[in-house]
Amino acid sequence: MKNRIILDGGMGTMLQAAGLGLGERPDIFGMEHPDVVEEIQRRYVEAGSQILYANTFGTNAHKLEGTGYTVEEVISANIAIARRAAAGKAKVALDAGPVGELLEPLGMLSFEKAYEIYAQVVKAGAAGGADLIIFETMTDLYEVKAAVLAAKENSNLPVWTTMSFEASGRTFTGTTVAAMALTLTGLGVEALGINCSLGPEELVPLVRELRQWTDLPIIVKPNAGLPDPATGEYGMKAEEFGRCMAELPKLGASIFGGCCGTDPDFIRALTGLQEKEESGRSGRLRRGVCSAGQVAEFGGRQSFETGGEPERILVIGERINPTGKKRFQEALRAGDMNYIMERAIEQADAGADILDINVGLPGIDEAEMMTRVVKAVQSVVSLPLQIDSSDPVVIEAGLRACNGRAIVNSVNGEQEVLKKVLPLVKKYGAAVVGLTMDKGGIPETAEARISIAGRILETALQYGIPKEDVLIDALTLTISAQQRQAAETLRAVRYIREKMGLHCVLGVSNISFGLPERFHVTASFLTQAMCCGLDFPIINPNQKEIMDMVFSYRALSGEDADCGAYIERFANAASDKTVPAAASVEMTIETAIMKGLKQEVANLTEGCLETMSELDVINQRLIPALDIVGEKYEKQQIFLPQLINAANAACAGFDLIKEKIAGRGGENLSKGKIILATVEGDIHDIGKNIVRVVLENYGYQVIDLGRDVPVQSVVEAARKEEVSLVGLSALMTTTVSSMQKTIAALRESGHACKVFVGGAVLTENYAMEIGADFYAKDAKASVDIAKEVLG
Amino acid sequence: MEVRLTELNENEILLYLGYRGQEYPAEVEVQIKRCEKEVLAAAVPRLIWRRLPVEEVHSCGLPPESRDIRELLEGCREVVLMAVTLGQGIDRLLAKSSVSNMADAVIMDACASTAVENVADNFERDLRKELEAEHLYLTDRFSPGYGDLPLAVQKQFCTALDTERRIGLSVSSSMLMIPGKSVTAVLGISESPKLLRKRGCESCSLFRSCIYRKEGKSCHEKQDHS
Repeated sequence: MKNRIILDGGMGTMLQAAGLGLGERPDIFGMEHPDVVEEIQRRYVEAGSQILYANTFGTNAHKLEGTGYTVEEVISANIAIARRAAAGKAKVALDAGPVGELLEPLGMLSFEKAYEIYAQVVKAGAAGGADLIIFETMTDLYEVKAAVLAAKENSNLPVWTTMSFEASGRTFTGTTVAAMALTLTGLGVEALGINCSLGPEELVPLVRELRQWTDLPIIVKPNAGLPDPATGEYGMKAEEFGRCMAELPKLGASIFGGCCGTDPDFIRALTGLQEKEESGRSGRLRRGVCSAGQVAEFGGRQSFETGGEPERILVIGERINPTGKKRFQEALRAGDMNYIMERAIEQADAGADILDINVGLPGIDEAEMMTRVVKAVQSVVSLPLQIDSSDPVVIEAGLRACNGRAIVNSVNGEQEVLKKVLPLVKKYGAAVVGLTMDKGGIPETAEARISIAGRILETALQYGIPKEDVLIDALTLTISAQQRQAAETLRAVRYIREKMGLHCVLGVSNISFGLPERFHVTASFLTQAMCCGLDFPIINPNQKEIMDMVFSYRALSGEDADCGAYIERFANAASDKTVPAAASVEMTIETAIMKGLKQEVANLTEGCLETMSELDVINQRLIPALDIVGEKYEKQQIFLPQLINAANAACAGFDLIKEKIAGRGGENLSKGKIILATVEGDIHDIGKNIVRVVLENYGYQVIDLGRDVPVQSVVEAARKEEVSLVGLSALMTTTVSSMQKTIAALRESGHACKVFVGGAVLTENYAMEIGADFYAKDAKASVDIAKEVLG
Repeated sequence: MEVRLTELNENEILLYLGYRGQEYPAEVEVQIKRCEKEVLAAAVPRLIWRRLPVEEVHSCGLPPESRDIRELLEGCREVVLMAVTLGQGIDRLLAKSSVSNMADAVIMDACASTAVENVADNFERDLRKELEAEHLYLTDRFSPGYGDLPLAVQKQFCTALDTERRIGLSVSSSMLMIPGKSVTAVLGISESPKLLRKRGCESCSLFRSCIYRKEGKSCHEKQDHS
């Protein structure tokens, strides 16, 4: 039971009434009219506010740019005003909102830069004498994470956070209430909740949901109802507000205030709320790991037997891992994020619940690569992540960059390892996999592994990591080498799950290593292990038959209510079979490419390779076929979707060949390297991506620098990669100027590369005007340019 | 007034894809239908608008020196500022399909462009109808970046509508709107019917980037704004 705390109400509308002009900054207005702000805040204290939010909501380096004021002076002045208004009767919070520039991956502000901006705000607030720090009106969980880390690492003050949700239960950026609760509770905030967004009535279901996922005090600071669409004014009266808010303590909320459209009367109406919150939750606290938009909820055990919590199998996809995969290693060395993102999407589409991320490869900066890969993966899929490394530096890099709550894979029974990794698990609020091995290696008996599991659990608890977040891996050994071990592993799993009540992880496929037709053994072992209590199988979800086992198991265990997911999966499979195969008689590579048929192109390429060399297949079959497509496009016989479908299909052939060459560690067939970038300030990269796909299919190695690429990064990459052709893309008139700057910088650097440009606003003349060598009106034109420059 | 996303105009999607009477195979038609479905599922259309006295328009970022704005608002006592967006889900969908299937990405991009225009058109139509009851008339829709209204006003325009807080629409320092599929515009309200300018190239949001215009052609014959 927490004691009720009353916050303050709206500031913006009251300042406007007191003379703040449209477009004027409230924090600077406060510095210039301290008496006005103090008077408003004094009225809040008189109305019953126990915590005043300093008038610093929008104060940060980004927003103050060009105002002539520093973050430090604006924050200390406004905290001092609130302190005077409080007159010892209320605490003063440093109040911070969103930075005002959207974070990556959709926006252009990096996570690290956002952290720096908040760190400055936090330090200024602590120096200014704030009693606590509140981040409010946030919509992006990643931004909140940057803010909370900045607060925790740069001050000792309590940190509270509130985010703004729509009635759907998501923020504008797609963060769910559950993901917010899991992530921020994990990061160690002292209280969390919801502000702005909606009126108190609309927030009821959201507060109810929030209580299921956290035990922390819950803050609710709603608007005065919903605004009138034409005028933007709020209509709810103070008394009605108080009446609606009375529902919230029953749902478990204990900290109350008002946001847009509220004034001291609204706060006075809150002083009648009951002083002790109720639990608001009937069942157990729900747990899981998450991305910002998706939760993988941890389950219970044997729902049918005990009538208890539903069992849940969470599939961890194992494919983002270079071990034993030449093509993957090549991609990591080349920094080819597209290849890795494809692996992520594939697994997500195949039904993985969590993705394991391992980038361990000699000769690369693993920590830096972990950050890059985590960011790349979460830009295209919304699955929770498992950070896979034994190096604490790499683990921390992954945990930091992860938008959500992750699993760490892994620790083992060695005290040294536990001492280094568990503090990180605690700090970032992650779950952790413990391997049942130690200095002495992998014990042969289930009993010895169980005893290591016990030691890992005990140490985790000492670090404040709850039991539910400790996942034990009892280790799969290969039966072709140690046949008796399969039974020991299963015995250990059963005990750990049932007697110790811990979740179990296993890397399943290792069981069949070295055997023919591995699938049979792997599938059988998987099923047995799930029966014994394995609930986090690490598998290759792209193997349909293995995923079929998981779907079947879920139907049998009752997790898949009414077998709905099972029916959906196999009802579709059955109807697929009735569709006649697209490949009819006499399909050639050329027709398959023209028709955009990926699988057929791959099959036909495979066939050609029996009699032709890889190089010949590329030069005599794939590229001529693409040329025909390109010609048809130029003559306007086909249009854009067909051109790209053809390129995609040809890709399947090229990929197969690349895979084969990489597999035998063979030579590179590239026709030359080309850098592509969407210029600084621009994020429209669809045009650049089309060009990339088409150029790659003509056998060029494309180094895709992505979008919003700083001028200097292009120059550095051109120099480092020694390319002779650079392609730049810009969509808007506002960003063509940075295209011009990039070209100028390339020339200045003395690099001899040729530059081609493209983008909606460009024309041949305009391209020449800004100093480009070539203008590419479309993807086909860029191939012609590449042929001219690189051959 | 509710935000409405209605059935997409397939011709418009094809137009965005550069379709000019080429062969249109059945499998591409199926692909476009599938992409359209995914776009509609990912779109969360949102709308914010404000009705203001015409005097306040300059504090919302519309410069007094813009001849086009003066012309548009001539004889108007009030203006409507509007912003619509399809939300970030579309940006994420496009990012994902750019990696997994570029052709899908291009088609989805065209569908999403059509969809956001659809939302803006629906709002305009609904508002026009509502104003008719007050015997008031609406001018054309005019956006930052059209004519002599620079794109650089986008930030102040969005601040005036509080788009970041109200519909999750933010403007980058290079004046790009995020989510990408968003439209902002101003419309005048007058007491007498104004001759709607023929929806020509100059008042189209693709003014600067239109592939047709580049080739000296136009597409506006197909538009019906009666």
